Amino acid sequence: MKKTLSKDPTNVIITGVGGQGNVLASRVLAGMLVNAGYYVTIGETFGMSQRGGSVMSHLRISEKSVMSPQIPWGRADIVVALEPVEALRVLTKYGNPDVAVLANSRVVYPVGVITGELDYPSIEEMQNALKRISAKSWSIDATGEAVKLGNPVLSNVIMVGALCATNLLPIDHKSFEEEIAKKMTPDKRRINLLAFDAGAKMI
Amino acid sequence: MSGNEAIARGLYEAGVRFAAAYPGTPSTEIMEEYSKYEGVYAEWSPNEKVALEVAIGAALAGEKAVAVMKHVGVNVAADPLFTVSYTGTNGALVIITADDPSLHSSQNEQDNRNYAKFSKIPMLEPADAEEAKEFIKLAFEISEKFDTPVFLRTTTRVSHSKSVVSPADPLPYKDKTAITYNAAKYVMVPANARIRRVEVEKRMQLLKSFAENFSENKMEINNPDIGIITAGMPYNYAKDVFPDYSYLKLGMVYPLPEKLIRDFAARVKNIYVVEELDPFLEEQIKAMGIKVTGKEIFPYTNEFDPGIIQNAINKLNKPANLPTKNVPPRPPNLCPGCPHRGLFYTLKKLKVFVTGDIGCYTLSFLKPLEGLHSTICMGASIGMAHGMSKALKEKGKGKIVGVIGDSTFIHSGITPLLNMAYNKSNAVIIICDNSTTAMTGMQEHPATGYTLLGEETIKLDLKVLVAALGIKNIRVVDPYDLKTTRTVIKEELTKDGPSVVISQRPCVLFKRAKTKPQKPLQVDPEKCTGCKVCLGLGCPPISWKKMEKKEGSKREGVSFIDENLCNGCGLCLQLCKFGAIK
Repeated sequence: MKKTLSKDPTNVIITGVGGQGNVLASRVLAGMLVNAGYYVTIGETFGMSQRGGSVMSHLRISEKSVMSPQIPWGRADIVVALEPVEALRVLTKYGNPDVAVLANSRVVYPVGVITGELDYPSIEEMQNALKRISAKSWSIDATGEAVKLGNPVLSNVIMVGALCATNLLPIDHKSFEEEIAKKMTPDKRRINLLAFDAGAKMI
Repeated sequence: MSGNEAIARGLYEAGVRFAAAYPGTPSTEIMEEYSKYEGVYAEWSPNEKVALEVAIGAALAGEKAVAVMKHVGVNVAADPLFTVSYTGTNGALVIITADDPSLHSSQNEQDNRNYAKFSKIPMLEPADAEEAKEFIKLAFEISEKFDTPVFLRTTTRVSHSKSVVSPADPLPYKDKTAITYNAAKYVMVPANARIRRVEVEKRMQLLKSFAENFSENKMEINNPDIGIITAGMPYNYAKDVFPDYSYLKLGMVYPLPEKLIRDFAARVKNIYVVEELDPFLEEQIKAMGIKVTGKEIFPYTNEFDPGIIQNAINKLNKPANLPTKNVPPRPPNLCPGCPHRGLFYTLKKLKVFVTGDIGCYTLSFLKPLEGLHSTICMGASIGMAHGMSKALKEKGKGKIVGVIGDSTFIHSGITPLLNMAYNKSNAVIIICDNSTTAMTGMQEHPATGYTLLGEETIKLDLKVLVAALGIKNIRVVDPYDLKTTRTVIKEELTKDGPSVVISQRPCVLFKRAKTKPQKPLQVDPEKCTGCKVCLGLGCPPISWKKMEKKEGSKREGVSFIDENLCNGCGLCLQLCKFGAIK
């Protein structure tokens, strides 16, 4: 496990579609980092957007403290996307040449695409775009893996496991185990640990 | 803790044991968290006006009471608000207003600092969760000291951001309740109110002096070339990008400390006033004759972030966005299996004008449903439907429908419905009864049978209530049954006099209703003719798969259902004429 932050503050954006477990992923990740002794602020937006709209959580991680819970434009260090187009959307505002991106490859179509009015970029187009505009990028089928484990909702925890394996942040399996011991009932912990480890193996 | 969790904690630590509210983003979690503390009384009132009146009553009885609401909720509560400023509070009274710059989940972006000035009530504004917890305690101290209601203003970004908060031991609760009579102070007839009116102005003068030395109006003199006057979350944004400038951070945004501001102005060369929405501080500071830069360079609309402040002060243009492919927009949508979907699909097909209201169903104005055509505020659907129907006369017959949720109907739909019966309306009102306050996350209300504290209670019977208001035509439908829903609404549209249709089906996300997901449906690609009718529902699991056209076939593609999202509500199955969905 990495011991320190490579940058202070480190700015992480977790994005996805309302209902994918974005808020839980950001809170678990923040909890893991707080347990490791860091100051973390989370900026969330919810309400109407939880009904299938774009959602985003900003995490700012520091050894001292951070003033703004919102990440300034163009200053994301890590983007974790539960849906690939949401990664692109976030990067149009917060991207920069040094950003690292971890994206779930499984698409969720917005309503305009469902009705056939809008086109959706293909997976290849999205992956190429992500490669082009980031320093590092990973694309994994977290939803597919989650379905194998029995519930597509687990893709958020799989993404946290994968993020851990990228070694971008000072977190590990143990810190996840400690955090879910606090946040989840015992019956849910086992499957979430399996999901975390499955995600870590995908990197 | 989030700002909202911290406010709840602060209330508990301050020994406050009485709270009333109506849910509304971004304020809702304050009450949800507060109600979990031992020994508190917390209620969901039917609307914000009632919540404030309940809190006023508790304060009059000697309690420390709080009323919690979102920014537009203060509009509903404005009537008692302006006059409780005259009477004072006896115990203590704090009103929390949660504003929503950027309209993340609201119908407007009003700046409720204006209410402080308008109603002559002091207002505190914390910048983060830790301050939120401390400021709520200070708000109660000010209320007790000056016998005044006090506002605490938060914004979405303060309420919904999480940062480290240090909990303290709660003050022991002291029961100071008693019945006291003081008609001159609490009966606001003109003769008494004229006298209290003068007291209010005296109190404002005292509060102005208090503000000069208030511990949370803080001056930080660093680089004397640039001074920033700010309050709330924008302080954090500015500090993030300009840590070395000088700051006057106002913890109390009304009334302002004039001497302190003059002192600050004398110590720095150029002053910027950094505030979201209205030039509330700026105009008052300019009226003091102090030269400042404000809305000439900062936007009037939307919340700020560090980048906006940096660019405005450094006179930079917006950073060029990274070149990426066009990203398709992703507006919010009704959930898979949402009971509103069938109703609004039907309304679109009936080609009626639908006056809408505030709730998840407002989203059905979007393509492809397009089953809702106006939204103003809670309760407006009913009054507007009546007004349109009266104005259109014969032209509007059978054409005007108002829709309103169950919680929203109780909030402010009852009086306008009574008006429809009284004034002989011709419109049809549909109550979208999903058994909960869904949009804000399943809060209880008088028709759910439970209180905020989880106690069982009366369960308002909407049908009986509607009948009591004088509505003769009342029907109940299940919006999952498209055919009956359509037939019933059609029948009611042809009738004379007002009708109410109760569209009844619990929210799919509502756990207590235990809507078990049905088996996910599938499209048989052999039978699907590609007619796209099912796509008209805008249901998230249903999408379109383009195919190569085969010879002799008009088919350009087929529908596809994502089994991971579908919960088998069966609407699409009812629409498919070719038996392709099973």
